[in-house]
Amino acid sequence: MMRRAHLTACVTLLLTAGMAVAQPRAGEWVNYRDAYRAMVLFDKYGGPKNLLHNHLQVLARDKGALQPGAQLLMKGKTVQTGLALDPLGRAVLPLLKAAYDENAVLTLSRPLVGFTVRPRVSLALRADGSYEVADLRAACEQALGFARYADNSARGRQCTGVRLVFPKEGEAPGVRVRAGGAEQALAPARGAAFAGDADDDFPVVTYRFGAQPAGQIVTYNAPLAIVPLFE
Amino acid sequence: MKPFFALALAAASTAASAQTPATNPMPDGSRDMYAGLGAVSRPRYEGADSQKVSALPVLQVQWSNGIFISGMSAGMHLSNRPTVEYGPLLTVHPNRDESGTGRIVDGVGVSTSPLHFARTGNRLDGMEDVSTRLEGGFFFNYYLAPEWRLTSSVLFGSGNDRDGARMELGVQRLAVQLAPQHTLSFNAGATVVNADYNRAYFGVTGQESWQSGNPPYRPGGGIKDVRAGVRWNWALSPSWMLVTNVQATRLVGSVRNSPLVERPTNVSVSAAFAYRF
Repeated sequence: MMRRAHLTACVTLLLTAGMAVAQPRAGEWVNYRDAYRAMVLFDKYGGPKNLLHNHLQVLARDKGALQPGAQLLMKGKTVQTGLALDPLGRAVLPLLKAAYDENAVLTLSRPLVGFTVRPRVSLALRADGSYEVADLRAACEQALGFARYADNSARGRQCTGVRLVFPKEGEAPGVRVRAGGAEQALAPARGAAFAGDADDDFPVVTYRFGAQPAGQIVTYNAPLAIVPLFE
Repeated sequence: MKPFFALALAAASTAASAQTPATNPMPDGSRDMYAGLGAVSRPRYEGADSQKVSALPVLQVQWSNGIFISGMSAGMHLSNRPTVEYGPLLTVHPNRDESGTGRIVDGVGVSTSPLHFARTGNRLDGMEDVSTRLEGGFFFNYYLAPEWRLTSSVLFGSGNDRDGARMELGVQRLAVQLAPQHTLSFNAGATVVNADYNRAYFGVTGQESWQSGNPPYRPGGGIKDVRAGVRWNWALSPSWMLVTNVQATRLVGSVRNSPLVERPTNVSVSAAFAYRF
């Protein structure tokens, strides 16, 4: 009988404590430790990655729910910082021991019901907007090398091209391919920046690697991201 | 991002299956810990027809050097690749006496206090008690994809003579997200044991037969059980989580015909609140 009473008391205490803790509402937060765990993979990867960027992307459950100017807030006992999100919802997550040990929480500056975060690898952008095809191919191979390191199901895939993602606002994307003295414009379309994104309304230009190793991709307005394509 | 939710909070099963949490890279000197309390309804012993409800403390700790405690297991991740996990493993195999499977440990220090005990013709009366045993061995897990994990472990040292050996093979579908903060994980697997293991837990010696009235039984080795389960993790807040686990196990092979087995299919259900430190 004493055992039963003791057990009931323990469970009641736990339930009460659990419910009484003032915390953000469900769907409005992500644990820093979980984000850290996903992002640190890239940091630990020992293969070539100098042509790549690694970001944490905020994915809203509802398309278009993430407003421009939103920030990802990192809140711990001593760590309090805001991370600017780009138009794709990406930020560079600092890998901080203090935030990890304090079990910091990631929330948005404008509360959003239902979001998650994902690591996203993209190709490094160049200030002059001009990319050698060979460099893009090398960067895509670096991204594939990392994907194979992190995910066994990527082992059978190959680099097939890149997707240039542009802002929704502003002038239409201008991308041209220069090869053998000729120049050809690549047609823009609408689509998602990364596979699995709910927002599929970004102006995108897809360039597929062909047999021709030489050439240049010239962008006339700055892309938000260049995403490697694997098939 | 799916591996985010691949929390392997332990939920006790009667067989105290070996638990290996997913590798968890973290800053040097850090740790990730869950501790909590709940309740479990499980068969009185493997193959019993009656259930008992017990308190279920939960503990899972991982340190930056790869050492972990998870449920009744402790081990060390030695792999530095995210798609493969391997290392040494220690597991506490609970004792069994006339009242059934004894104190179980879910992580460090899970003890059970039976609240309800339906006793109808106890087949363990007169059977020799089997002592708690520390089993040692190793584990090897392989990720087919970030959300699909093949698991295996081999453990030695169970039974009164410490000569029992078991190998657990399984597949896990990690972290199906139902809604924000709600994830489901599925698992299925089988346990292969040697004859000494089966004789320790399901055999009846001549002496025991005379004392208990059970007919003598000498099982061989082979596949002991197959199992399937589902776990629901509900992150109530950044620190609190409700972990619910349902596991069905079916005894097969020579074990199934043991006179100690009243019912080959057993179901364990547990729910526990856990706090992340």
